Amino acid sequence: MFLMLVGLLFRSKGQFSRFLGGLSWYYLKMDFTIRAATPEDCIDIFRMTRELSEYEKLSDQVKISLEDLKRNGFCQNPFYRCLIAEVPEEHKTKDGHVNVGYALFCYTYCTIKGKCVYLGDLYVMPEFRGKGIGKALMSSVAKVAKEQQCTNLQLSVLDWNTPSMDFYIAKGAQDLTKSEGWHSLRFHGAALDKLAEEAPKN
Amino acid sequence: MADFNLRKAEPKDVTDILRLIKELAKFEEMEEQVVLTEKELLEDGFGEHPFYHCLVAEVPADRRSRDGHTVVGFAMYYFTYDPWIGKLLYLEDFYVMPEYQGYGMGSHIFKRLSETAVKTRCSSMHFIVAEWNSKSIEFYKRRGAADLSLEEGWRLFEIDKQSLLKMAK
Repeated sequence: MFLMLVGLLFRSKGQFSRFLGGLSWYYLKMDFTIRAATPEDCIDIFRMTRELSEYEKLSDQVKISLEDLKRNGFCQNPFYRCLIAEVPEEHKTKDGHVNVGYALFCYTYCTIKGKCVYLGDLYVMPEFRGKGIGKALMSSVAKVAKEQQCTNLQLSVLDWNTPSMDFYIAKGAQDLTKSEGWHSLRFHGAALDKLAEEAPKN
Repeated sequence: MADFNLRKAEPKDVTDILRLIKELAKFEEMEEQVVLTEKELLEDGFGEHPFYHCLVAEVPADRRSRDGHTVVGFAMYYFTYDPWIGKLLYLEDFYVMPEYQGYGMGSHIFKRLSETAVKTRCSSMHFIVAEWNSKSIEFYKRRGAADLSLEEGWRLFEIDKQSLLKMAK
């Protein structure tokens, strides 16, 4: 069974210290918790994935339903894992949301090195940025990867998204498209269906 | 066309799978980077929660390779997730030994993977290709692949183990 994170509580005091054997991160003025998502969180994950797609100017590509998200993440062999950043009630958004960020990732495999993690999405609502939530989400994914003995973490970023690229490069990420010439290719829709129809029937 | 059988890999195939992984890595000039072992391939692919799935291409004994192998090609894949479009089939590695190339084996493996993607209700099949590998890029583009790095500007980033451990502290 894959790891379910114990909630890590982050409290604001402006200094580093230890709490229940794990690391606590202290930031001014904002409490938040990073925890594993539950099926009930899917409605917020659904909402925030759409916010992110609008930011990336690709909202016309969003096709999945809330039911799909729930089924695919909480079945016996889940297709993804998700961490949620939650703030206390007193910091909720004007629309009443306390789930203000998420990191969605999958376990993948590299024939060179073995088990890896692929970070599909990392998102913090704009009004909650600059408070260490993105960094905390990233570190929590890294902890999960470490505990599962994964050898690296991969992710994709759009070439115009300089703030995201800078964020990941600051954490030691390398742009493999730039440095090694790797391109992401995709078969989708009619092209995929056509190939599948031509499959041998042995 | 050479006779061959495409089948799901079994635990006994890990020796051949690792051999083929190393041959492909040599072609991609990354041979010395392969640290995976047969033991890891066995645990990671054939345990309770497999990290990967594998197809192998096998020829009859009378068509074995110069070195005596009957497993002459493989494709390793797993399922990933895009919260916008759902399940994806990700093709990690795909290789046919040079002496068996040109007989349609690669094409058949590819179509079988596509069939698997559709049957498991994946929206897409994804993979990466090195930009200098024009032969592979042409192979995929002829069959309808889109280059997301060129067309949409997606770049692949990687955080290695050392940086990962530093972040996890």
